[in-house]
Amino acid sequence: MRYARLLLMQVRASMLLALQYRADFLLDGFVEIFWMVPAIVPLAVVFRVRPHLGEWSFGEALMVVGWFTFLQGVLEGVINPSLVTVVDHIRKGTLDFVLLKPADAQFLVSTARFQPWQCVNVFTAVGIFVWGFVVLGRGPTPADIGVATVAMLAAVVALYSLWILTVSAAFYVVRIDNLSQLFNAIFDAARWPVSVFPRVVRLLFTFVIPLALMTTYPARALLGTLPWATLAGALGGGIIAFTVARIVWKASIARYTSAGG
Amino acid sequence: MIRVRGLRKHYKVHERPPGVAAAFRSLFHREYKTVAAVDGIDFRIEPGERVGFLGPNGAGKTTTLKLLAGLLHPTSGEVSVDGHEPRRREDAYLKKIMLVLGQKQQLLWDLPPSETFELNRAVYDVPRAQFVETMRELSELLELGDLVKRPTRTLSLGERMKCELAAALVHRPQVLFLDEPTIGLDVSMQATVRGFVQRYNERYGATLILTSHYMEDVQRLCPRVIVIDKGKLVYDGALEELVTRIRPDKRIILRFSRPVDESEVASFGTIVRDGEPTGAPCWSIALDVHMDAVNRVVTEALSRLPVRDLTVESPPLEEVMSELFARGKAS
Amino acid sequence: MSLRSTVTAFPTLLRVGFMDAVAYRAELLVWMLATTMPLVMLALFTTVAADGPIGRYGQPQFIAYFLATFIVRQLTGSWAFYEMNFEVRSGTLAMRLLRPVHPLWAYAAENLAALPMRLLVSLPVAAVALVWVGRQATTHDPVMWGLFAVSVLGAWLITLFVNFAVGCLSFFVESSMKLMDTWLVFFFVLSGYLIPVDLFPHGVRAVVDWLPFRYQIGLPVELMTGAHGTAHALGLLGRQWMWVAIGLGTTSVLWRSGLRRFAAYGG
Repeated sequence: MRYARLLLMQVRASMLLALQYRADFLLDGFVEIFWMVPAIVPLAVVFRVRPHLGEWSFGEALMVVGWFTFLQGVLEGVINPSLVTVVDHIRKGTLDFVLLKPADAQFLVSTARFQPWQCVNVFTAVGIFVWGFVVLGRGPTPADIGVATVAMLAAVVALYSLWILTVSAAFYVVRIDNLSQLFNAIFDAARWPVSVFPRVVRLLFTFVIPLALMTTYPARALLGTLPWATLAGALGGGIIAFTVARIVWKASIARYTSAGG
Repeated sequence: MIRVRGLRKHYKVHERPPGVAAAFRSLFHREYKTVAAVDGIDFRIEPGERVGFLGPNGAGKTTTLKLLAGLLHPTSGEVSVDGHEPRRREDAYLKKIMLVLGQKQQLLWDLPPSETFELNRAVYDVPRAQFVETMRELSELLELGDLVKRPTRTLSLGERMKCELAAALVHRPQVLFLDEPTIGLDVSMQATVRGFVQRYNERYGATLILTSHYMEDVQRLCPRVIVIDKGKLVYDGALEELVTRIRPDKRIILRFSRPVDESEVASFGTIVRDGEPTGAPCWSIALDVHMDAVNRVVTEALSRLPVRDLTVESPPLEEVMSELFARGKAS
Repeated sequence: MSLRSTVTAFPTLLRVGFMDAVAYRAELLVWMLATTMPLVMLALFTTVAADGPIGRYGQPQFIAYFLATFIVRQLTGSWAFYEMNFEVRSGTLAMRLLRPVHPLWAYAAENLAALPMRLLVSLPVAAVALVWVGRQATTHDPVMWGLFAVSVLGAWLITLFVNFAVGCLSFFVESSMKLMDTWLVFFFVLSGYLIPVDLFPHGVRAVVDWLPFRYQIGLPVELMTGAHGTAHALGLLGRQWMWVAIGLGTTSVLWRSGLRRFAAYGG
């Protein structure tokens, strides 16, 4: 209960902050519009010369891009802004204050900041889904949507866990200028259906860095081609990812030496 | 309520000799050295006490404070604060303490301090009524007024420090750790902070541990001091006694109605000089005299010399401390 | 800040920058991992091209292209923005301003100083590339290699100026990080980093030819793989250096007005 109230307070602080800087607020909204372009171009380029990418048709591949866009929205709107504050805290030496508070540090840090405009990405994603289904000439069944929602939850958890792992690196690395670049670089591969990669990479992206979980599986769920076993695997994967991330986070905090005192 | 036994904190630090070649080699092979920041410390502090930690830079004061606050895990030894083990960072424990770090702030930068207060209220689970009451009192004691409504970045350093203190005390901690709270503040702000801390201690009976480089802070606030040097406890007791033990001198400052040559006072005690002796007669001379000899010296000086004004003081704490640490270096 | 003191200080800045780069091993790892995207794309496109070439790119061409992209990225990457952003927002830029070396030169020096480490990483890849793809993949024309060197310099400068310009925006807005991210997203897609530029549809291609992104990575890679004749290459180089000039101009203007603002608000 306390955590729910805390979450509300954090969201409120974020909103106040977003509204404080009006120029930024408008700028953010304006910039959002442009993010749609890079989402589609790579796919469009490939499909211009090939009707199929592996076993994926253009319409089907659009589902993957749609989920990619959606997750980008979650990443840039909810996950990235807060975790960037960890990096800031470590640089300024104020992480101690977070650790002193009688609330879970991971929670405090994950909810520190939200970017409201990113919800535009959600609409873009839906738009891409609609486009894809128009191309395919059919619509998703309610069951498909249900399964996709479950897969989406697993995807978000996997994404969040991956980010926590990346940010935990901030404890080991003294100068972390480009952690978000690292993350973006890895995450970018999620715009492609995972089966398009050669076998080794596919295994990497399924079991080690679960990009498959994030975009390919929800896409297949929406298309109604996700086997139950794989869905269960996705959920399990999400739970495992979260647990691993939590363990690494706690280990990093334990190691954290506020040296220079 | 604070018990510390055999507390140790060791760090492994990577040493690298200077130079480009050495830097390159360090990519592949690193030499590590163990640094003992805290090396076996014991003490007990009772509730409501005000204790000052003194020591040269790098002595281990801040490390000890952070060990007490649970921010660092000890390498060995026992720490217990009000029955809790700080390293476990239990919620119940964290709600009882607070650490104030001079120069670093927890106030949200772009929002007014009042928002930070609210956030802390939610985090520490402070009942609304108590919160309102506490903030009212703190606002009065610290003279905050409308400061809390302006974004933190628009406040001056002193104003920020006051709000920082208020934010730290939203949950009325019973144990307060202060790490250099007055550093960088101007003289009047330092006095304000000191006064406030003292009143908080008296009002709520909170236990206080303070580290500072400003002797003023320690003199005014802490009847008891713990001196830490090179990670070891060098002294634990009343400040007065420490001064007496290290420098059992009193400083006598004589001001004359006509210039007096130094040779005339040389027999009384050690002359305190700023630089090289000029050889010329002076209008005022300061002498360090052993406390037992003060009466005799004063009587003689008054009878033999054209004294216009005479003061007897304790030597400046700074000098006492310098000497203490210098002795530490020698040993 | 005089040019003379900058020039005298530069070698030391480079040396210290190198030691800095080397001091932090974990950073090196992070940074190396961050630039592996071309290798992932390599995996993707060689699989796609297994059934047949896409455009003029068959498997060997894709391999050559992405290995070249990897090398060029190592040579021209810069993250001066993140350092600059932090220093502006925390006020520590004031420290740099006190020194007789212009902060932008200092950032540039730090960037350059990391180059030896980057070369160390890209050299094995270059060797692999040579052996694997054979000598046909790269150009043999010494003139082209000369133009390649020029284009690498140009690419680095554009990237650097983009970092500076967006960094200068930190003086004015909070969301400069967001802007940098946006630039990067466009950069990944439109520069030839993820996909060779000549695979783009005609309309998009025409637009991309006039945007700066292609000249940050695409151009050097194309020159290295001998994709253009000398005349065409010179034309493209011209456009690249036009962007270098724009970058320089924009940075100067933004820096000066940003600095005024910085001084007005204090650290």
